[in-house]
Amino acid sequence: MAVITLPYKYLEELTGVDKDTIIERLPMIAADIERYEDDHFDVEFFPDRPDMYSPEGVARAMRGFLNIETGLKRYDVKPSGIRFTTDPKLKDIRPFLASAVIRGLNFTSESIQSIMGLQEALHWAIGRGRSKVAIGIHDLDKVKAPFRYIASEKSRKFVPLDFDREMSMDEILKEHPKGVSYAKLVEKFERYPLIVDSEDNVLSFPPIINGELTKVTTETKNILLDCTGTDEKAVRIAANIICAALAEAGGQIESVEVDGVTMPNMEPVERTVSVSECNKLLGFSLNAEEMCENLRRMRFDAEPVGDPKTTDKVRVLAPCYRNDIMHDWDIFEDVAIAYGFDNLVAELPNTFTIGKEHPYQKNLGLVRKIMTGLGFMEMMPFTLSNDRVMYQNMRRPKCADALYVLHPISEEQTMFRTDILPLMMETLQTNQHRELPQRLFSAGDVVHGRETYQTVSAVSMHSAADFSEIYAIVDAFMHELGLEYTAEVSDDEAFLKGRRADIIVNGKKVGVFGEIHPEVITAFDMDQPVSAFEFDLRVLYPEKIE
Amino acid sequence: MEKTNELTYNEKRLLAVLKPLKDAEMKKQYYQQTIATSLSGNNLPIISALNSLKDILSVLEEKKNIALNPIRNAVNMLESGSDEKSGFSLKRLSLARPSVKYLAIIMDTSEEAVVQYAKLLDSRGYCKLIAEKTVAYACTEEGAKYAKEGLPERRLYDSFENSIALKDLQANPSAKLGIGWLRKKGWVTIKDGIATKVGDVPLGPDEIALKDLSVKSAGTEELLKRKLITEDEITEYFIEITKEGEDLVEKGLDLRIETSTLTAEQIRTGEWTKLKLRNYNVQTPPKRIFAGKKHPYQQLIDEMRGILISMGFTEMYGNVIQSSFWNFDALFQPQDHPAREMQDTFFLDMKAELPPYYKAIRDIHEHGGDTSSTGWGGKWSEEKAKQCVLRTHTTGLSIQYLKDHPHDPLKVFCIGRVYRREAIDPTHTPEFEQLEGIVMDSDVSFRHLMGFLKEFYQRMGFTNVRFRPAYFPYTEPSVEPEVYVDGLGWVELGGAGIFREEVTAPWGVKYPVLAWGLGISRVAMLKMGLKDLRQLYRSDVDWIRSVPMNRNEIKATACGDTDERVANQKNGEE
Repeated sequence: MAVITLPYKYLEELTGVDKDTIIERLPMIAADIERYEDDHFDVEFFPDRPDMYSPEGVARAMRGFLNIETGLKRYDVKPSGIRFTTDPKLKDIRPFLASAVIRGLNFTSESIQSIMGLQEALHWAIGRGRSKVAIGIHDLDKVKAPFRYIASEKSRKFVPLDFDREMSMDEILKEHPKGVSYAKLVEKFERYPLIVDSEDNVLSFPPIINGELTKVTTETKNILLDCTGTDEKAVRIAANIICAALAEAGGQIESVEVDGVTMPNMEPVERTVSVSECNKLLGFSLNAEEMCENLRRMRFDAEPVGDPKTTDKVRVLAPCYRNDIMHDWDIFEDVAIAYGFDNLVAELPNTFTIGKEHPYQKNLGLVRKIMTGLGFMEMMPFTLSNDRVMYQNMRRPKCADALYVLHPISEEQTMFRTDILPLMMETLQTNQHRELPQRLFSAGDVVHGRETYQTVSAVSMHSAADFSEIYAIVDAFMHELGLEYTAEVSDDEAFLKGRRADIIVNGKKVGVFGEIHPEVITAFDMDQPVSAFEFDLRVLYPEKIE
Repeated sequence: MEKTNELTYNEKRLLAVLKPLKDAEMKKQYYQQTIATSLSGNNLPIISALNSLKDILSVLEEKKNIALNPIRNAVNMLESGSDEKSGFSLKRLSLARPSVKYLAIIMDTSEEAVVQYAKLLDSRGYCKLIAEKTVAYACTEEGAKYAKEGLPERRLYDSFENSIALKDLQANPSAKLGIGWLRKKGWVTIKDGIATKVGDVPLGPDEIALKDLSVKSAGTEELLKRKLITEDEITEYFIEITKEGEDLVEKGLDLRIETSTLTAEQIRTGEWTKLKLRNYNVQTPPKRIFAGKKHPYQQLIDEMRGILISMGFTEMYGNVIQSSFWNFDALFQPQDHPAREMQDTFFLDMKAELPPYYKAIRDIHEHGGDTSSTGWGGKWSEEKAKQCVLRTHTTGLSIQYLKDHPHDPLKVFCIGRVYRREAIDPTHTPEFEQLEGIVMDSDVSFRHLMGFLKEFYQRMGFTNVRFRPAYFPYTEPSVEPEVYVDGLGWVELGGAGIFREEVTAPWGVKYPVLAWGLGISRVAMLKMGLKDLRQLYRSDVDWIRSVPMNRNEIKATACGDTDERVANQKNGEE
C-alpha cells in the first residue's frame, strides 16, 4: 500500500485550510490515516488514486472536495523544442518512453523528498515494482539535448547515483543496491536500456538507476522527466501525474518531442455518461446539474448536454492524471464520494428470496450435533499441513493424489490435508498437559486430487482409551446418521493391529477406527492411549451436489 | 440450621449408646443401695449393672432404638462373664465413662471409628473424649507358661508332702529355677540334704499379680524383675457424655440411617419416605465437568449463517482449488496484479480448462468488451488463466453462481476458508475464514448495499456502523464499513461494493450485483477478546472449555448501545 507523508504546513499552504479540517474530511475522499507526527501525518491512499500520492495531489483534490476550487485543473504546456529518440532495438526490452520538461522550480530538501516519495509510490502502484513503469527525474541543465533512449552494450560505463566511480552496467546489477534489487527486470536481455544526451553523457539506466550527473539538488531549477516501461498507457499516466504535481508546486510544464510525438499530453479525457444510470446505481435522484456540481468538486469538468434539469446526458472531462476512470461507473463513484458517504441514507431493498442452507453445511451441522452430543469438543485445525504430520508420524504411506503447493511459505505448510486425524493428533500434542480425558473432533474439508470433500475425525485421549470405547462411539455416530454399517479388520498402520477396523457401508470403506499405534503416539511426543476414528462424509451424498 | 444436622448417623448412634449406658450407671448406684443387703459384696456391682442394663434394654426394645444392639451386647457380655475374661471388667469400668475399647466391642465397630465419632461429638460439646495414659502388663513367654502352670517354686512346693531329700527334689524339672526361689521366699528350710516345708504358704503377691495383669498390684514389681511380664505405656480413651449430649438424646435424635443414594427399590416401594436423605453442602462447588460443544469460532460462524439465512440468503459451498480464471480473471483482476504473484498466492502444479465463453473475459480485459470500459489493455494470457491456485477468496464462487443464475433476483452467501501466502504470526495465518454475500435484483443500488451491511452488522451486535470510500479491483463504487467498538474506536470490518460491469457483463448479468466480504476471524477476535489469531486454529482445550456457549455478555461489551441500555436499566432500578 502507498503510505504518503504529508507535512502539515506545506499541505495547509497548498490547500488553503487548516490541518484539522483536512484531517477530518480526508478519510471521506478515500484514505486511511496511519499516524500523526509533530510536523506531518502519514496517509495510506488506494492504488486507484496514484494522483493523490503527493501533497500537491492531495491539496488539489481537497480544494475541490471542500468547495474552495472546483472543476478541472488545466495545465498549460509550452513547447521546449527538446527532442528525444528511441532505439527500435528496445522493442522487446522496454519499448515505451514518455518525457517532459518542467522549468522554474524552487526545490527545498523537503520538496525533493516529496517528489521522491511520489516517484517511489508510482513505481509501486502503476509501475508494478518498476517492471511496467520506471521514472527518472533529472537536472536538465547538467545535460544537453537532444536525448536518446537506446539499447546499450552491457559494458557501457558511467557513474551511478550516490557512487563516485564509474561502473559497467553489469557491475551495477551485481554491486549497486538498486542494481541488485531490480536486476531481474533486465538481466535476461542481450542489451540494456540507457538514456544519453547529445554528448553521450548517461542520464539513466532504466529501470535500475540514474546517473550521478543529473542528480536533483536544491540548486536544480529545471527538470527533465523520463518514464520508460512496457505499457504505453501506464508510462504516459505516470508522466502526467508527475508533471501535474510539479506544476502544482509552481513549475511550468514544457513538451518534448519523442520520435515526433508531443509529450506530455495533459488534455482531459472526455466521456458522456447517463444521469439515470448513475442515479439507479447509487440509489440517488439527482438531476444533471446536481450531478455535475458533485463531479466538479471531484475536479472533473462536467456539463449537462441540453436542459440541465431534464437531460439524461452529462459530458465529463476527466483530468489527465486520473488513472482509474475506465468505465462510466468510475465516474458515478466519484459522484457518490462528492455527495458524501456520510450523507447517504442506507436502505433495505424489497428483493424477495428464501434463505437456504447448503446441504454440505447442513450435514456438517448434523455431524457437530451428534459429536457434541457424544461429549466431544470441536477443534478447527489448519487445513494446510506437511508430510511429516500427515504420513510419517502416522505410519501411513504418502497419498498419491495429495495436493502440494508450489511455493510453500514454511515447512509446516506444504500441502492440503488429505485426512483430518493427523491434525487431531497434533492438536492433542499441544494440549496433552490439559486435563484428561480429552475427547475432540473436527469436521471439514480435505483434498484428494482435484476434489474437495468433507470428513470428520474424532480422538479420545485418556488412560482407558481403547478400541471398545471408540467402537461404541462409531456405532452411536453411525446410528444417528441413520447408516447401516459393518466393521471389518483394517490394515491401517496408524492403528494397532488387532485393534483397528474399517467402517463399511454398502460394501465400500468409508472410514476407519481403533486404538492409535503407540509409535504414532510417541511420534507426536505423547504417552497417553488414544482411540480415534475418521469418516468420509461423502457417503451421505448419493449424488454430487453443486 | 439445626445443629444435629451437622452430625452424621454414626455420631448420633454413638451418642445414643452413651446415654443409656450413663442411665444404667445411675440405676446401678440405686440398685447397689437398695439390694446391697441381700447380696454378697463382690458381685454387687455386676448384678446391679446387669439389672439396670436389662431395665434399659426393655425400654429400648419398645422404642426400637438404635442403641438396642449395643446394649444387648453389653448385657450378654455381663451375663456370660465375657467382659471379665476379655479384660473389660465392670468392676473398674464406669458405665458413665466407658472406654473406647468397650464401646467398640458392644457397638461392633473399630476403636478408630469410635474415636473419630467421639472427636466430632467432643468438638460440638456433646461428649468428652478423655485420653488416659495407663500402664499395661503382658506376660513374657516364660510368664505365660507360669500363669498357666504356676510358678516353678509353687510347683516344687506342691510336689512333696512335708519334706523331701534335696537330691530327689533336684530331679524335679522345675528344680533348676524353683529351689532358689523356695529358699528365697523361705517356704522351705534345708538341713542335711533334706528340704522341709515351713508350713502352709498362701499365694504370694507375685502369684496374685500374675493371675490378673489388668491392674498393678503388690507383686507386679517382682514379676517385672523376674522378667515374667513386661510393662507398656498405652493410651486408653474414655468417653463421657455431657449434659448437652444427654439433652440432645432426650430431645430425640433423628436416628434414621442417612441415605446418600436412592435406589430404584426404595423409590418403587415408597421406602424413600422413611429414609433420611443426606443433606449436601450447597456451598461446596462440584468438580467441573466439560460439555461436548462446538468450537466458539464455529458457533460464531453458525450465528452469522443463521442471520444471513434468515435474511433470505442461499448458502454456497465450493472447491478450495480454483483456476486463476475464476479466482482472478473473472473478477477483472489484471493479470499483472501483485496479488497474482507467487509471493502472495499459493499456486498449484495444476491447470484447469477454461469454460466456454472465456473469450468474453479476454475481451473485457483487453478492451472492455461491449461495456463502456476501456479494459486494462495489453494481451490477456490464456495460460495464466488456466493456472490453479488455492482460492484467495470465495468471490470466485459468487461469480460462478452468477454465471449459472444470471437473471433471477438472488441473494447468496458463503463462509469458507481462503488461503494467502502469509507467514504465521499473531495477526496473520495462511488460511482464514471469509464471509461473502451478494445480492442481485433489477432495482438494487449502492444505498441498498449500505442497508444490507448495516442490517447485518447490527444483527451481529455492532449497532454503530459507518461507511467510507474504498477501493477493490472488482467493485465500483466500493465502500469500507466500519463499526464502533468500545475501547477500540472505529474498526474496519470488511469491504463491499457493486460488482463492476466488467465482472458481470460477460455472463449476461444485466442487474447490479451488490457484494461484500468480511474477514470473520477479525470479528471473532473482537467478539472473543482474542489477541492472537492462532488461538482459533491451534486452540487451547482449556480456552474452549472456559468460553461459555452463551456469549451474551461479550456482545454487550462489544456494542455501545447495549451498554447504554444496561446502564439505563441499572439506573432505573436504583
